[in-house]
Amino acid sequence: MKIYESSVKKPVLVSIAFIAVMIMGIFSYSKLSVDLMPEFDMNMAIAIVTYPNASSEDVENNVTKILEQTLSTVNDLKKLTSTSKDNVSMVTVEFEWGTDMDDAVNDMRDKLELIKMSLPDGASSPMIFKLSTDMMPVAIYAVDAQESMAGLYKILDDNMSNPLQRIEGVGSVTIAGAPEREIVALVDPNKMEAYNLTVEAIGARIAAENLNMPSGKYYVGNESYNLRIEGEFKESDQLKDIVVSNNGGPIYLKDIAVVRDSLQEKVQESYINGKKGATVVISKQNGANSVDVMNKINKALPQIKKNLPSDIQITEVMNSTDNIRNSVASLEETILLAFLFVVVVIMYFLGEWRSALIVVITIPVSLIGAFIYLFATGNTLNIISLSALGIAIGMVVDDAIVVMENVSTHISRGAKPREAAIYGTNEVAVSVVATTLTLIAVFFPFTMLSGMAGIMFKQLGWMMCIIMVVSTVSALTLTPMLCSLIYKQKEKNASKQQTEKKKNKVQIIIEKQLTALDNAYERLLTWAVNHKPTTIIVSTVIFVLSLMLTKFIGTDFVPASDNAMISGSIELPAGASVERSKEIATRFYNYMKTTYPDEMLRMTYTVGSPSEDSDNSFALMQTSGDNYISFRIKLKDIKERKRTIFEISELMRKEIASYPEVAKSTVTPGGQQGGMTGGSNIEVQIYGYDLEKTTKLANDYKAGMSKIDGLKDITISRKDYTPQYNIVFDREKLTANGLDFATASTFVRNRMNGMTASLYREDGEEYKIKVRYAEEFRKSTEDIENITLYSTTGRAIKLGEVAKVVEKFAPPEIERRDRERIVTVKATLYGTTIDKAKAAIEQLNENLSIPSGISVEIGGSLEDQQDTFGDMGLLAVIIIILVYSVMAGEFESFRSPFIIMFSIPFALTGMFLSLWLTGQTINMMSLIGAIMLIGIVVKNGIVLVDYINLNRERGLSIVTSIVSGGKSRLRPVLMTTATTVLGMLPMALGIGEGSELWQPMGIVIVGGLLVSTLVTLVLIPTLYGSFAASKLNRQRRSLRKKNRKEVIA
Amino acid sequence: MKAAFIAYNQAFVDEVEQILHQLNIRGYTRWVDVQGRGTKTGEPHLGSHAWPGKNMATLCIVEDAIAPILKKRIQGLDHSAPEQGIRVFFWETMDV
Repeated sequence: MKIYESSVKKPVLVSIAFIAVMIMGIFSYSKLSVDLMPEFDMNMAIAIVTYPNASSEDVENNVTKILEQTLSTVNDLKKLTSTSKDNVSMVTVEFEWGTDMDDAVNDMRDKLELIKMSLPDGASSPMIFKLSTDMMPVAIYAVDAQESMAGLYKILDDNMSNPLQRIEGVGSVTIAGAPEREIVALVDPNKMEAYNLTVEAIGARIAAENLNMPSGKYYVGNESYNLRIEGEFKESDQLKDIVVSNNGGPIYLKDIAVVRDSLQEKVQESYINGKKGATVVISKQNGANSVDVMNKINKALPQIKKNLPSDIQITEVMNSTDNIRNSVASLEETILLAFLFVVVVIMYFLGEWRSALIVVITIPVSLIGAFIYLFATGNTLNIISLSALGIAIGMVVDDAIVVMENVSTHISRGAKPREAAIYGTNEVAVSVVATTLTLIAVFFPFTMLSGMAGIMFKQLGWMMCIIMVVSTVSALTLTPMLCSLIYKQKEKNASKQQTEKKKNKVQIIIEKQLTALDNAYERLLTWAVNHKPTTIIVSTVIFVLSLMLTKFIGTDFVPASDNAMISGSIELPAGASVERSKEIATRFYNYMKTTYPDEMLRMTYTVGSPSEDSDNSFALMQTSGDNYISFRIKLKDIKERKRTIFEISELMRKEIASYPEVAKSTVTPGGQQGGMTGGSNIEVQIYGYDLEKTTKLANDYKAGMSKIDGLKDITISRKDYTPQYNIVFDREKLTANGLDFATASTFVRNRMNGMTASLYREDGEEYKIKVRYAEEFRKSTEDIENITLYSTTGRAIKLGEVAKVVEKFAPPEIERRDRERIVTVKATLYGTTIDKAKAAIEQLNENLSIPSGISVEIGGSLEDQQDTFGDMGLLAVIIIILVYSVMAGEFESFRSPFIIMFSIPFALTGMFLSLWLTGQTINMMSLIGAIMLIGIVVKNGIVLVDYINLNRERGLSIVTSIVSGGKSRLRPVLMTTATTVLGMLPMALGIGEGSELWQPMGIVIVGGLLVSTLVTLVLIPTLYGSFAASKLNRQRRSLRKKNRKEVIA
Repeated sequence: MKAAFIAYNQAFVDEVEQILHQLNIRGYTRWVDVQGRGTKTGEPHLGSHAWPGKNMATLCIVEDAIAPILKKRIQGLDHSAPEQGIRVFFWETMDV
């Protein structure tokens, strides 16, 4: 028994089976996590080797080169870059997307183990550091305080950081900008010398005084007691009264130093809307879902806020999940809208609720089935998986429509619904399965993509395949079953007029319109078939003209989307003080406040460098410095403001450019987080050994590129030479005075930076006790030269006697890529496209004279774009071959599928036309749309050619077959096209946050399908006509020859 | 005794069976999936791509008195849905 026969006979079983699928689907949906993109591992790992006291060039030659040589042999390597700085070598290994990072890192470790011995003496063992997405913060909160400012760090650590850290999925919570408590003894060097004391001696004294010690046991008769000496300071004030020396009467610490129990001297400062405060950065654990983690944080926050002192205000600065949630919500809205559109189309064409209901019910059944897949494979609801639903909505009804239409034809001929359902389905089952196979031929190759495109579209491929299979199964089981139950048998002897009467006015009007359309199409088709050359020439001209349009369409990688965030940095010339940076930051904040009062929600910025011993890993990973300001701006929702982040960023760039003090600046719309969706960049890569020449060339490029329209934020990767003071010891003099290099440098460090003598404990927390020169004694070069060093024999020598303090410029870091020195000049694109920018830079290449030994390449988003476009091209070729093969098998012919393939060029015509009209670019998303079009547009051709073939087999003439076949298939073709087009229309309209991402795909599918359908409706039958006619002529000719031969014989 | 050969669109299977049952005709032989086409009108039922419809055929031996009733019932069925196609043919049987 066939599957459709048994389902008609067992309606209960079928209903229960589908209800079970629905319930499982809804359950899966409720359990699904939400994310922006499919999950993927970061594909980078860094190997770090420290080599103390080596300059960047030494590091490059002795360490980096060795590391690079071995690491270049690891599997799946994509790119090898390195940075050699003073003392440190960092080699970054970038793997192919989708590589198993655990294996990759193990491979690296094995390789590095082998070369450990060849590293120079004094170099540390290589450290491997795997980059992962969880290093990016999930949320950042700004904390604003009045009275509690002094104790802010401890308050936040106890009451905010700890409770947050206990939440499942939260990785680390770091507090930045809140100065930590520190107890410092600021000594006066003159007094110290007078008493013959050193910083080290004072430190040792403090450590010796601040001590608890268990001293064994003590027995009294039968009892035993623990003996303990408790000397630890109970209060920081006790420190003042320590006797540091007994040189002619007790000398207390307070005599020679000021003891201060306060906050660290200079730390990175954070400002929220112009007010100083702290920031709390929360990052998630590896593998945890941001939205889930964020939900838990939001639940815990009210309680946390309650426990904090009332003057502390917590505001959210950044929340990576808002954008995710909004994007997913607007996509869900889009899908619902598509569903409505599809229902309207079906109602319009079928004009009757029964048929419409039977068809529409397939949509939820097939789509909900896909949620089970997502849940079972541990995937998330993201833009890609939801887009798949959006694309599928208009396509899943097609099979059901075909089945339903044939069953209702049988019923109208007088069959009982039950039999009509069985035999009607039987007749179309093969072609339904075949059209599904063509679609699977399109979507299955998606699941085999590798690289970045693979991460993005594997899921889409699987989703579409599953949805298509489910919809076909449902069309072969559920649809006939419903038909047999819902339809009524045609009344006996019911005349045509009676059935006409039953229709209402609207139905009659629609029917009239459709009939008029049928007739018009028939006339057009008759004309076309009789004027084949004209039709074919006109179509070719349309296609060629559309190819001309490509000149006006730019190319891009991933469309930029507006997520209401802008981040960036301002850098003053190297050596600028924190005060100066603060001043600029305040000026910039005031500008932002007054210029965008209606658009900006808040602005946070940080100035200065984090203290050296801070555990703020997030801050350490980012660039910082006294001359460096980084800012982050949160704007209102896109619906509530007129300007996009790109327009505002452009205005901000102009403002920053008007500050003469600023050396470098970047403005990144979308924030660093945006990464992929924040727009494209382009990079000029200058390879060459000579640092001076390449730096000069980089500067030339920078100058040239700043004149090119649309290139913004042009930065050179190589840092400037930074001014610094070097203390140059004379080794001979050192030795003569009984000192060595290490002792001398420790002396300097302890006095300038401070020596951590001991730890002060209070309420379970530890605070550092530092000894250091008072501030007024570390202000000038003379102060440094006046530092007193003590030899082993106790002789005092001034630093100035054995060393010179000289001003120097620190050499830049040396960056290498693929084992060659490189400098990159990077620019962000705004208002231009990658291809235009590339052409402009190539123009620049010709004007600049590139010295020998230096080579220049263009990269950036361009590299990713070329990789992905290459993959897509290959994918398109594979899909075209597969689709052709499936059709050839279906028609048992090489010619029919060839004719049908002619609808593909016109999909391109539609794509170019729609992109040109809407001003969109050719990018990854629009190309994906184009590839999907291959499968969607040939479907129309299949329906047409199949029916024309059928007519021919029934013995009709070529022209009649074509015209009547075309006429009878017009409605199904228009209907399936309309459902797909209207299903994609909400996507193409780009409603809601994040819609910039999927809009190009929607536009391409709508445009391509419309144009292709209109052209194929005329061109495909015409081509069929000319192919069939030429075949017939050949047959006639051979027949005539044969006859002639017979006559002669 | 007459032999009645009923050739019909497979969609009529239930109706034909019902008629036989009502006329108390117990014995019959049925072929499923047979092909055929009408002499004058009607679509061929060939189970092919062009003519996907299929027929069934039932052969039964009936009393002479039943034959006209059977003929009438089958013709009535045919009349109710002429596009489906059903025909009945009778001939004499020599022996049972």
